[in-house]
Amino acid sequence: MTRTEIELDQFYPHPPALVWRALTAPELLARWLMPPDGFEPRVGARFTMTAKPIEAVGFSGTVACEVLELVEPELISFSWDDAAAPEPSGWVVSFALRPEGRGTRLLFTHRGFDPDSPAAQLSRTIMGNGWRRILAALGEAAADAA
Amino acid sequence: MPQRGKSSPADRLFGALANPTRRDILDLLLDGEQTVQDIAERFDMARPSVSEHLRVLRDTDLVREEQRGRHRYYAVHAEPLVGVRDWLSPYERYWRARLTDLGDVLDDLSEGGDA
Repeated sequence: MTRTEIELDQFYPHPPALVWRALTAPELLARWLMPPDGFEPRVGARFTMTAKPIEAVGFSGTVACEVLELVEPELISFSWDDAAAPEPSGWVVSFALRPEGRGTRLLFTHRGFDPDSPAAQLSRTIMGNGWRRILAALGEAAADAA
Repeated sequence: MPQRGKSSPADRLFGALANPTRRDILDLLLDGEQTVQDIAERFDMARPSVSEHLRVLRDTDLVREEQRGRHRYYAVHAEPLVGVRDWLSPYERYWRARLTDLGDVLDDLSEGGDA
């Protein structure tokens, strides 16, 4: 099975307007994601973010982004590329807000995992699946590594 | 590239799972514990071969055995796979952690009025 995205959903007992602020105010983004440089809530805005490199995923520590979609207070998405990568990953992260009761449900997706990249797909294939799939994927990984 | 020591538990785990017959045995055990004889019959394999595969699976703690009466029963054991699954899912872990941090920021914002 090939999947090309991570999907997560999370409920916050806070109104959408507040969640939207945390998603789009640079000083707040810095507190839960990474300090952005050049970010503004405008389609086409390009910005970078700096964080700790993550060896396990081959991440250099600098992310280059462009705001692709912006519908206040419902949706923001931006491209997500490792600034040091030789070519764009084609990753897009998006945050969709849905009012739910007195709170907000956040639907998060990180899409664009290369269906032809075993490394990208491994991390996808395993998640949330049952035993049999875990075993099958691990076996493929082991066979590839051998 | 990061250097990993040889023969770590993860290496042995991958080694154990690299064999399709051993994965088939694990699949079979998911339906419930089995004796060596049961497994040998299902795979049309000599008992010594089955025993050898079971030994590898036991060494990596993917399978546990229990002696009851005249028979040894083999059952699948999930624990060692959890660490490997975590290793394989860094992106999801990363985002889950970020979304949790976002929740903390929201808590601060609502308690403090304005941040």
